[in-house]
Amino acid sequence: MTDAPSSAGAVRCRGVSVSFGPVRALRDVSLELEAGRIHALVGQNGAGKTTLGRALAGLQAPDSGRVWVADREIPGGNVRAAAAAGLAMVHQHFSLPPSFTVAEALELTAARPGGTAVYRRSDLEKRWREYVADLDGSPALSSRIRELPLEVRQSLEIVRALASRASVLLLDEPTALLTPSAIDALFERLRGLRDEGVTVLVVLHKLREVEAVADTVTVLRDGQLVFGPAEMAETDLGRLSDAIVGAADHRAEAVQMDEGVSRPGGDVVHLELENVSTPDSEMEVGLNEINLRVAAEEIVGVAGVEGNGQRSLVSAIAGLTGLTTGEIRFGGADAAQDSPARRRQRGLRLVPFDRHTEGVSSSAPLWLNQSVRRLVGRRRARHPLISVRNFREASKAALDRWRVRYQSVAQPAGSLSGGNIQRLILSRELADGAELVVAAQPTRGLDFAATGFVRESLSGLRDIGAGVLLVSSDLDELFELSDRLVVMLGGRIAAEFHPPYDRRAVGDAMTGAVR
Amino acid sequence: MIGQIGRIVSTVILVAVSFVVTSLVLWVSGYSVTDVLSGTVQGALTATGAFTSTIRWAIPLFLIALGVMVAFRAGFFNIGGQGQFYVGACAALAMALWWRTGPALLVIAVSVVAAAAAGAAWSLIPGWLRVRFGTDEVLTTLMMSFIGTLLLQYLTGGPMRNPEGTGTTASTERIPDAFRLTDSSGVSFRLLAIVAVTAVVIWLLMERTRFGLSVELAGRNPLMARWQGLNVSRVGLAAFAVSGGLAGFAGAMEVFGPAGRLVTGFSPTVGFDAIVVVMVGLLSVSGMALSAVFFGGLQAAILFLPIVTDVPPPALVFLNGMVALLVTARFRSRRRRSAPESVAPEPEAGEQEA
Repeated sequence: MTDAPSSAGAVRCRGVSVSFGPVRALRDVSLELEAGRIHALVGQNGAGKTTLGRALAGLQAPDSGRVWVADREIPGGNVRAAAAAGLAMVHQHFSLPPSFTVAEALELTAARPGGTAVYRRSDLEKRWREYVADLDGSPALSSRIRELPLEVRQSLEIVRALASRASVLLLDEPTALLTPSAIDALFERLRGLRDEGVTVLVVLHKLREVEAVADTVTVLRDGQLVFGPAEMAETDLGRLSDAIVGAADHRAEAVQMDEGVSRPGGDVVHLELENVSTPDSEMEVGLNEINLRVAAEEIVGVAGVEGNGQRSLVSAIAGLTGLTTGEIRFGGADAAQDSPARRRQRGLRLVPFDRHTEGVSSSAPLWLNQSVRRLVGRRRARHPLISVRNFREASKAALDRWRVRYQSVAQPAGSLSGGNIQRLILSRELADGAELVVAAQPTRGLDFAATGFVRESLSGLRDIGAGVLLVSSDLDELFELSDRLVVMLGGRIAAEFHPPYDRRAVGDAMTGAVR
Repeated sequence: MIGQIGRIVSTVILVAVSFVVTSLVLWVSGYSVTDVLSGTVQGALTATGAFTSTIRWAIPLFLIALGVMVAFRAGFFNIGGQGQFYVGACAALAMALWWRTGPALLVIAVSVVAAAAAGAAWSLIPGWLRVRFGTDEVLTTLMMSFIGTLLLQYLTGGPMRNPEGTGTTASTERIPDAFRLTDSSGVSFRLLAIVAVTAVVIWLLMERTRFGLSVELAGRNPLMARWQGLNVSRVGLAAFAVSGGLAGFAGAMEVFGPAGRLVTGFSPTVGFDAIVVVMVGLLSVSGMALSAVFFGGLQAAILFLPIVTDVPPPALVFLNGMVALLVTARFRSRRRRSAPESVAPEPEAGEQEA
């Protein structure tokens, strides 16, 4: 970290900080990446990996700090300057237009000089033939992007990025959508690029992948650089996974890792999943033969790096996704055929992942958001008309009881703060007849007070006999609340833990590290 | 509350701006603006029978607008009111002619049900395509509307054509006078009572039933509604059915009211004007009643104007279009700004791309 630029650093940054409103995505990050090597950037969701990549690529102007690419300083947020200095980025989401042919898409999106306003397809195909010739899937230049397999599309993204003779390639979670064999092929290609002298910075989630491809590794946690860049050969995987999840306060050293049958916490088993599989969704992998029980007076925590099937799990329990195989039972009785509404009547309550889009309608008034449960499901109505005043008063009472801060029940839910929206959701979901509560990321983004409130509510509910399934990426929260903890990896339950929890072992199970 | 007053004020201002722009165009074209304005007021309000004519045109606008509003609250643009109106009218007329000897009340009741069912069926086709496959209902309802218009042309010119007709346009036989709810003025106490009852029922349905509130929620945020266990597809289909049913009902009222028969291409823009009525009426039943009367007045004035001035009637059609343009622009911009809520209402099965 000297002031003088060193020629070895293909990419450097010093003191980079980025904030989004109150959220500090990056704090004072300084980094120097050696040229001609593969560097891995790892960390949990929200650790700031993508933001750092965007800051290096000039897509995000840092609040403070400086960035150099190939010893040229990039003015904050100047993507053209970064590209001119030889940096190209492959984003997590594919950028090639699906309806275009391969040649058209490359011509449109690649920062390559030349080209004319009017073109002939055959000319374009001639121009791009050499670029795609050495690809494994070697796609026909006239085929449409949307018809290609994911891994070929990924390769084309890289072709696009490198077409401008980039010397530094940034890849943001390129493995997220790929199958294992496609991942191997991608890594092979990255190694090839490295041998040609390209510097690669790749954001990865799984330690196994880091181990497979990276020369050096760097860890971000809560927006800070906490580890590295360190030579991969000299790095202990255990230390790495500690750095990722934050091993500062190991509560206990005892390891209790068993994958056997769980011990029910009460007589009633509120939820049972037996060999449940679901199809993959656009958002993440489906479930793969999951077995899970949630009994009365029990909080079962679900840990895991995001995208490993947690959403599929919650959707399957909620009845939003059908099962391909397996059985689901509520209170011992089959629930596979029950509609989402029927499941709610049987005592299921949901705190969804994204409270702003899945938890409330932000434009609808508070009272309507609070009383949705009264609209759902079959109900013998003595009177076809409802009393809105009754709805308003009941929801006002509930909102007050749950200490939601608001001016009027007629104000739109979107005008509340995140913490108050979560209180509104809890007031709706936990109020009466909750037997099984599925809480997904219930405290994400909440301040200290609201977080405490949510956690107290969940454990209070457990104490009066409900079963709680707590899906969270906050390990401290899981350790504090869970009576049992399962770890999801690739749509499976990879391991189960009992207190006292060993942070290191849980971290290893989450990242798939084997020591 | 403040927001609602602000919206009303801005709507009134937009209508006023439309008047000013239209006046400017007329003035530049060398017409007397005062003549046109006084002609408009006479045609809509003060001339003999003018206000009756205004109400006569307001009735179908209002009924179709009620249906458009229901679909709108569910998050759908049903712009095919015209076709649904036509098939409703055809169904009502066919029923009334087929059973022309029946007791009036019963025939009317059965015909109205048939008309509403025909309108509902016409809008359920695009509705089903929307909730099942995510097909854009703006396109499909419009296309179905064209089919409805052509169906009317076919029926009036073919199977249902009155062989003794002498006019230049194809038309059907008249229904028996006993079935008529109004004389040819198109306004009667009976018809107004039916319209008022319909408005109250729709208001209660949307504001005071579990169905109405479900429609509201599913329309505002289908993702959240699905998480809450609402059957969003079923709610959407029901909204489409009610929406088309009301347009079909409007068609029946046209047959039993002022028309008494079908003429090819009658009231050719009523279904589209109704959409503007909804937007000027700010999706509230009372607001839509007022704006229907306003646009009904414009329609009456358009027919009246050639009698008193040499201004071509399209001048007022221009005014109509001006209001539609400004109000729609304002409406769209507001939807844009509140975009975060408009989570893509994805079709049922989120299958992967192959």
